[in-house]
Amino acid sequence: MTAIDEKEIKETVRSFILSSINLPDFKDDDNLFESGIVNSLFAVQLMTYIEKTFALEVGMDDLDIENFKSLNATTAFVLKKNGG
Amino acid sequence: MVKSVLENSGPESRLQADGRGHRPKVELRSQQELADAHKARHKEFKTFVTLNVEPHVEVWDREQRIPDSAISKLAKCGYLGCSLPPEYDGRGWDVATFGLLNEALGRGSSALTGVLTVQAMVTMALLKWGTGEQKRKWLPPLAKGEMIAAFALTEPGAGSDLQALATEFTRNSDGFILNGTKRWISCAQFAAVFLVFGKLEQRPVACLVPRDSPGLRVEPIIDLMGFRAAGLGQLHFDNVEVPSANLVGKPGFALSHVAAVGLHYGRISTACSALGLLRGCFEESIAHAAKRKIGDRTVGEIGMIRSLIARMGTDLEAGRVLCHNACRAEDDHLPEVFEKTLMAKYFTSRAAVRAASDAVQIRGALGCHGSSPTSRYYRDAKIMEIIEGTTQIHEDLLGKIFVDRAGKFGK
Repeated sequence: MTAIDEKEIKETVRSFILSSINLPDFKDDDNLFESGIVNSLFAVQLMTYIEKTFALEVGMDDLDIENFKSLNATTAFVLKKNGG
Repeated sequence: MVKSVLENSGPESRLQADGRGHRPKVELRSQQELADAHKARHKEFKTFVTLNVEPHVEVWDREQRIPDSAISKLAKCGYLGCSLPPEYDGRGWDVATFGLLNEALGRGSSALTGVLTVQAMVTMALLKWGTGEQKRKWLPPLAKGEMIAAFALTEPGAGSDLQALATEFTRNSDGFILNGTKRWISCAQFAAVFLVFGKLEQRPVACLVPRDSPGLRVEPIIDLMGFRAAGLGQLHFDNVEVPSANLVGKPGFALSHVAAVGLHYGRISTACSALGLLRGCFEESIAHAAKRKIGDRTVGEIGMIRSLIARMGTDLEAGRVLCHNACRAEDDHLPEVFEKTLMAKYFTSRAAVRAASDAVQIRGALGCHGSSPTSRYYRDAKIMEIIEGTTQIHEDLLGKIFVDRAGKFGK
């Protein structure tokens, strides 16, 4: 993905989340981790997915639940890492 | 059948990578070049095992220790840092090569492979989540095998339920004070540094703790059923001072991210090591079946024995495919790598138990004696179903992954 577009990022991440978890009424601000919808394995799967898809690296400084807690949060994180 | 699919990586793979957490320089090579390179490495690893492991492994098992000289040989070949990037004195090999190394070593000694497993668990977690200073300080001596690391996660009251960790870090002026007990820690008897997991103000944390820290006592655990030479131990921390510079990752992420990376590499290593043990059972069994006579027939001419060997050989090939897929997914940094690795470890560890049981059965009384590798395989194989997540934990995780995909297959 070369052109960084918020909508494109969000839909790409949404597609990954929905392919991984069974959540029919998933909203952009739903807290994935507080709700107990996902387990810790999903946390590293999501991290690996965004590293691979958006050619970025999640490092120690990025370890903050605020970066990954929801679809909107993850989208904002990807935009920030890519200089958006 | 004989040709390993682990030797056949695809064109986008690379023999030379620089490890997770450092995006590799993608080096496109033809499928044939890669297959040849992996095959050559696998041959090198098998020769290493023939010369340096097989002649000694029964003694190591009996004496319940691996001599320093054996670990030095692993270090001299660069095997202990094979997955680390060259900038940290590693070999920078891809995961497919790491898998082949574990398979070859697993054929020779599960206990020795355990050293490689644990070293990878600590170093790859540190590579991903360590600070620049931590990586520069710890990774080069670990890569060169100048020190061995151990992954101190399990406790007397916390095995499969890691949330139950009772090991406690409390803050002091310069860092933390550590108290608690860790049990069933592989390589504890000779490790120079431990990656210790515990809780700080109720949040999971991980810290590097040198063996010579005042207040740390290592108690050897002996007389295990299998992995007898793997140097297991119990760690007692009594007001151990840990500098804040040794904190790996951030508080709150030690289990979900730091341990997750370590356990993931541990599963890749264990899956491939179990595959090597399975190959050992298969090779021992077909050799015996072809040679040993009962009356005027060889053992291999008996239908019931052929059934056992058929299952073993088919499990071996299936295990190779699963391990290959897991290693490839890791090399390609695919998010599905975690489930592929769970499947590989789940399958090969269970198949190794079946194969070891059948290998003893095929050999009969000969297979029960310490002079036969099958008796050691039988004892070691069961441990594979317990380490880096039990079979039941794997079933729970994989079952959830599959159920969550209800209605999504084929879309």
